[in-house]
Amino acid sequence: MKELDPIVFVIDDDRMIRDGLQSLIRSVGLRVETFASAQEFLGAKRPDAPACLVLDVRMPGLSGLDLQLKLRDGGIPIPIIFITGHGDIPMSVRAMKAGAHEFLTKPVRGQDLLDAVQKAIASDRTLRKERQEVDEIRGRFESLTPREKEVLDLVVAGLLNKQIADQLGMSELTVKTHRAHVMEKTQADSLAHLVRMAEHLKASTRK
Amino acid sequence: MRIDITAAVRSALFRYGLAVGLVFLALLASMALQDSIGNPFWFFFSAAVILSTWLGGTGPGWLAVICSTLAVMYYFTPPLRSFAVTPRELPYFVTFVACEIGVTQLISWRRRTEDALRQARDELEVRVAERTAELKRQMAEQRRIEEALQATRAELTRAARITTIGELTASIAHEVNQPLAAVVANADACVAWLSREKPDLAEARSAAGRATEGATRASEVIARIRSLITKATPEKSKVQINQVIEQTAALAEGQAARNQVVIKLELSPDLPVVFGDSIQFQQVILNLVVNGIEAMTCITDRPRILTLRTEPEDKGQVRVSVQDSGVGLNEEVMRRLFEPFFTTRAKGMGMGLSISRSIIEAHGGRLWAEPNGSGGASFQFTLPSEDGPAS
Repeated sequence: MKELDPIVFVIDDDRMIRDGLQSLIRSVGLRVETFASAQEFLGAKRPDAPACLVLDVRMPGLSGLDLQLKLRDGGIPIPIIFITGHGDIPMSVRAMKAGAHEFLTKPVRGQDLLDAVQKAIASDRTLRKERQEVDEIRGRFESLTPREKEVLDLVVAGLLNKQIADQLGMSELTVKTHRAHVMEKTQADSLAHLVRMAEHLKASTRK
Repeated sequence: MRIDITAAVRSALFRYGLAVGLVFLALLASMALQDSIGNPFWFFFSAAVILSTWLGGTGPGWLAVICSTLAVMYYFTPPLRSFAVTPRELPYFVTFVACEIGVTQLISWRRRTEDALRQARDELEVRVAERTAELKRQMAEQRRIEEALQATRAELTRAARITTIGELTASIAHEVNQPLAAVVANADACVAWLSREKPDLAEARSAAGRATEGATRASEVIARIRSLITKATPEKSKVQINQVIEQTAALAEGQAARNQVVIKLELSPDLPVVFGDSIQFQQVILNLVVNGIEAMTCITDRPRILTLRTEPEDKGQVRVSVQDSGVGLNEEVMRRLFEPFFTTRAKGMGMGLSISRSIIEAHGGRLWAEPNGSGGASFQFTLPSEDGPAS
């Protein structure tokens, strides 16, 4: 599973800082890729692995905060560690609100950065796993027929077979058959498991 | 004063004594020659009176006349050896006395005139000397005032420079902090490489190298700023204006980036060398650059570009222009642009352009502004080359 080795992306327009951060992060055995601008990063191919982004706030062209919003809107969830020359409060509030993982001021202490990077990668790993699970569940749920989906919704809402049959205008036996298919297709062990999966899915789509 | 009085008394005694002495000599001579020449006393006494008056003044002159009269009365007019004068001799005697008086008056008048003339000349000389001293004092005062003015102007120029730099504080702080951040990151990396179980010396070495590079860059930034804020007295030397522009652009780079302004340099490679104070040139250019950036902060519909251009001009001159794509200049602003304390900014002091213009003019150049065809303004100045306009 070579491609699952975590990777750190460093984006800073200052070559010396870029090289320094890269060297620092590599020294603890992490893979590092550097970019001189946000555009360069957006244009690059990103390997499918747990990752985090070390990002300079102030850059010519697309700023760090702009990139953060672009990634969020583009559905590219990646934890971001911001680095800024002067940590002014409104800017850090904005970044944190938009989901920044960490906000560090320059000059950054090496250990602080490495800690932040490790935490960000761990969090990305968890999130990736969660996303994978959700994707899998979604796949299973999407294999249901429209009728089965209707039955599923009502089952999850806590209705009895008889009530479902009345509401959908079918026999209780038919409801039972649909229900069995639903349990089979979603690989649910129990009613409780099914409900949990459905909630999970709903929560993640709402996000 | 006492010495003066003694001297005056001595001089008077001498002059009166001289008169008596001369009359006595005349008497002796007259008596000696009495037998060979008729009435010789005429000549000798007249001579004594003339000399006494000429050498001693009016007083001694009168004394000589009196003594001469008495002597003639006593020795030469009958009855002899007596102060009486016979009626027959009276007209002759009176004529003699009148002549003597006439001579002494004439000589004394001549002398007085000459004295007055001499005195007038002396006074004139004294007055001229006084006036010269006065003029010298006034000139020294004038020079002192001019020096003070010069110093004040230099101080004001420096103050304006510091104000301009003050506007750059945030970006300068960034400019210094940036390399320091690189130093810290690389030093930390170096330590990390060395602290590994198997230290990686090659990695550590290159990280340490980058740390040094960063520190050097930080000190360069500081040196650039220090030279701008410390020196007040201008020093003239040969200046490559392109170099000054490159340094200034580097100084304003951060400020430009903060405001999403791109600085473009279009520098002509074959410019003559100019002569002047490079710090002051840098001040003028920095001022124009900061103004240009400021003028573009609210521009959103077009790229914010600041172009610094140099080109050779006629008569060996150099032309520098700073062109922005900002809000431009309206008529009112255009008219008052170079007035002291005129500013369009809330925080501006309004001295930048007026001082810039005086700097350029002091170097024999010209500074002016004109609107761009495509929006924004263009500030330009010319400077004569080192060889002057002749070549």
